[in-house]
Amino acid sequence: MDIMKQYFDLIREKVDDAYAKENDRFSQIAAMFGECMENLGVVQLFGVRHGEEFVNELNYRAGGIAPFHGLKLKDLVLKEMIDQKDIDSGAIYDDLSVADKFEQAYDLDDRDMYCLVSFYGNEPLIIELARRAKAKGQKVVGVVNKRSYDRFGGTLLDYCDAWLDMGADDPDTALEIDGLKIGQLSSTVSNVIAQMLTAEIYQYYVRSGKEAPVLLSANINGADVHNDSLTDPYGRRIR
Amino acid sequence: MIDAKRFKDELEELLEQLYESQKDNIEATAQAFKECIEKGGVVHVFGSGHSVGLGIDIKDRIGSLVPIHIMEMSDFVTRGGVPVEEFMDHKVIFERKPGVASKLYDLYDIRPQDIFIVISNSGINGIVIDIADLAKKNGHKVIIITSMKHTLAEQPRHPSGKKLYEFGDIVIDNCGPHGDALIKTDGVAKVCSVSSICNNCIAQAMAARTVELLKEDGYEPPVLNGDKQHDEALKKEYEGRA
Repeated sequence: MDIMKQYFDLIREKVDDAYAKENDRFSQIAAMFGECMENLGVVQLFGVRHGEEFVNELNYRAGGIAPFHGLKLKDLVLKEMIDQKDIDSGAIYDDLSVADKFEQAYDLDDRDMYCLVSFYGNEPLIIELARRAKAKGQKVVGVVNKRSYDRFGGTLLDYCDAWLDMGADDPDTALEIDGLKIGQLSSTVSNVIAQMLTAEIYQYYVRSGKEAPVLLSANINGADVHNDSLTDPYGRRIR
Repeated sequence: MIDAKRFKDELEELLEQLYESQKDNIEATAQAFKECIEKGGVVHVFGSGHSVGLGIDIKDRIGSLVPIHIMEMSDFVTRGGVPVEEFMDHKVIFERKPGVASKLYDLYDIRPQDIFIVISNSGINGIVIDIADLAKKNGHKVIIITSMKHTLAEQPRHPSGKKLYEFGDIVIDNCGPHGDALIKTDGVAKVCSVSSICNNCIAQAMAARTVELLKEDGYEPPVLNGDKQHDEALKKEYEGRA
């Protein structure tokens, strides 16, 4: 069959699987996020390597819920607090001092909770972020590729109140041409999971009888005023 | 009711539309990428904001093609001399600025056989349009990925009065709605955006088809396979370019 069609079909299959297996957890996690946000907390997001795509999918996104904030290694590079080459080599994910640097660079708050994304869930930095949040009594949600997590001795979920599975193979290659493995699914499926969570958070607000703080695309005329009205009350905590 | 199921169902319908309406454009892009690779070229991917996710998704993993270069917005600061305060100013949004793109473009080793993929959902902002324009003026093939519904609904912001799709040799419509969010609500804003999902599907399908076309030509596809020696040798070939 047409290889392009194969990819689209696989995405559908994996999304159907994720929904069938995890729908109860979507509403449970959305309620955790919603409760945090109602108490003026922000959901802090961090992703290892391609896990950052999940962060971007929830962080200051058109049609997204406002009180999310991404902990971005790139921000630390721009502030000259870390070196790009340590991101490229992956060494940064072993460096626990990055957790301190995030605390210096951002306005983090005890009302916040964390959503941490890693294919393997075994990198020291992400585990440190989870450990610190837990020690402060903040809630933590983990997103891992469970098959890889189990195989490579992940421990992130030891600190998590709830978790989700990306549901990809390990390694994450979905297609094969003459023995050559290509085509990753985990980020695309994770992005769909992020949007399913968004829909459930919206539903949480509806049930609470409150208006959900939904952002508009910044590229719609007049959107800036609407978006600023949602984020300004948080000062530097969201943007 | 707006919930996970509603999003899933509406998304699946949209992805079907996307595949059916854009498969020929994705195929044409894969052909262009294949020819580029066979001539030793690299594809330069540029998208501001969330659009850059497309490049990230098909790069640096087992099963990824190597000759892909992401033109990073942050290079404006780390290598292009733009002050960080100007870059991160939320009130004067940097990506909307016309006339600064050459500071980025000129940083890179861009060769005649290289092609460009420029991504923007709205296709109206200064920098993306200037990058596409520069690439075209320098004789490169330019592929645009945009939301036609969004771009046609907005007024241009670029001084030329043009929108991004007007610069494309190939234009792929990601089929996303105006404003990117899919589901109507009772309030002003719609909820749940789709562009990253659609763009990833386009990129992955394009990359897979490129590998298949290279194989059909008997050309060894430059793909990471997880073997350290093989992968390092391959990255070395494109060092400084991808």
